Amino acid sequence: MCASVSNNDTVHAAVVLAHPRADSYAHALAQRAVDGLQAAGHRVDIIDLYADGFRAAMSEAEQEAYRGNQPILDPLVQTSADLVRNVDALIFVYPTWWSGLPAILKGWMERVMVPGVGFTFDERTGKVRPGLTNVRHLIGISTYGSPKSIVRVVNDNGRRTIMRALRLSCGFGVRTHWHGLYAIDTSTVGQRAEFAAHIERSMTNLR
Amino acid sequence: MTRRALVVYCHPSPTSFVAAARDRVVAGLDASGAEVRLTDLYGEGFTPELSADEHATHLDAGVDPSITSHAENLMWCDTLVLIYPTWWSGQPAMLKGWFDRVWASGVAWELPEGANRLAPRLRNVRRVVAVTTHGSPKHINMVEGEGGKRTITRSLRAMCHPLCRTSWLALYNIDRCSESERLMFLDRVEQRLRR
Repeated sequence: MCASVSNNDTVHAAVVLAHPRADSYAHALAQRAVDGLQAAGHRVDIIDLYADGFRAAMSEAEQEAYRGNQPILDPLVQTSADLVRNVDALIFVYPTWWSGLPAILKGWMERVMVPGVGFTFDERTGKVRPGLTNVRHLIGISTYGSPKSIVRVVNDNGRRTIMRALRLSCGFGVRTHWHGLYAIDTSTVGQRAEFAAHIERSMTNLR
Repeated sequence: MTRRALVVYCHPSPTSFVAAARDRVVAGLDASGAEVRLTDLYGEGFTPELSADEHATHLDAGVDPSITSHAENLMWCDTLVLIYPTWWSGQPAMLKGWFDRVWASGVAWELPEGANRLAPRLRNVRRVVAVTTHGSPKHINMVEGEGGKRTITRSLRAMCHPLCRTSWLALYNIDRCSESERLMFLDRVEQRLRR
């Protein structure tokens, strides 16, 4: 065990970023999150899905291997799987499209959170058990085209996918944090700057 | 008037239960006399990742030239049937990418100057049917917030005709249900699509 793990004040975080454009506001938010974490002495790894050329669609071979002993067939998926099994904080940064995750991020969940990583099947009872018991903080940072009132009406499905479905794969003690910027097309420069500063502050305050 | 049905099917394996459901959907639609167009996203190697170029022009009307036929089919149909397995409480990335890229400005919606609410454009779509399987039981999906169901019945439906009907045909707990339950589900799917 290295010193940083035994030190309770240091958080090891993974930032999973899903936006096709490097000049996007989502990239800026991810950078501010990293800055905030590093300012507090936390350790951060970034997974930039588009930059990595991550493939969204689960392949037929992967679907067949899903219930086997080796469900991961792609080194890029393996890198993510090794990381998420070791982090204290899992942080997602993405734009909400059709009330949910961009396909590339949904595909990352499907291909990385396979049996043995996201969860395990209990052979005896047949029940599903959480696999991400190491994750203490589950954090979503997302921008929305719609105002918050509309996001509520359509059920904020991306948020629920992370804060509920993925949460079930974490331990009982996991804490969830959601940061949303709504109606981005009509937001002001000042509102976006304030939101970015809020992200940096809250990451610095992570314990 | 003849019904015009667009069937969008999404599963990586051609021998899956979902593929069997697709065949029953098409059989039901054929029996009703509908004109059917079938899209097999995995079969045609659809690219689900919205590109940087597409994002840069996402407020302009139209889709990438490589997916024009998808947009034309969507604007042509009066009945849209989506067939897929539910993974992580929602649509597989492949199908989500079809939403992200094909349900574009000038096809599914437009954004009036200065507005932040989309104006719907798919007035041709009067019925949306989802046919899906779940590994987990229904109560788990309710705890998870039923994101996949509501993406279709709320987010996508809002772009369709104001009186558009939605149907949710779902088989839960598929790994534990019996052969006869699965067959009954397939019968139910075909019956519902006949109407």
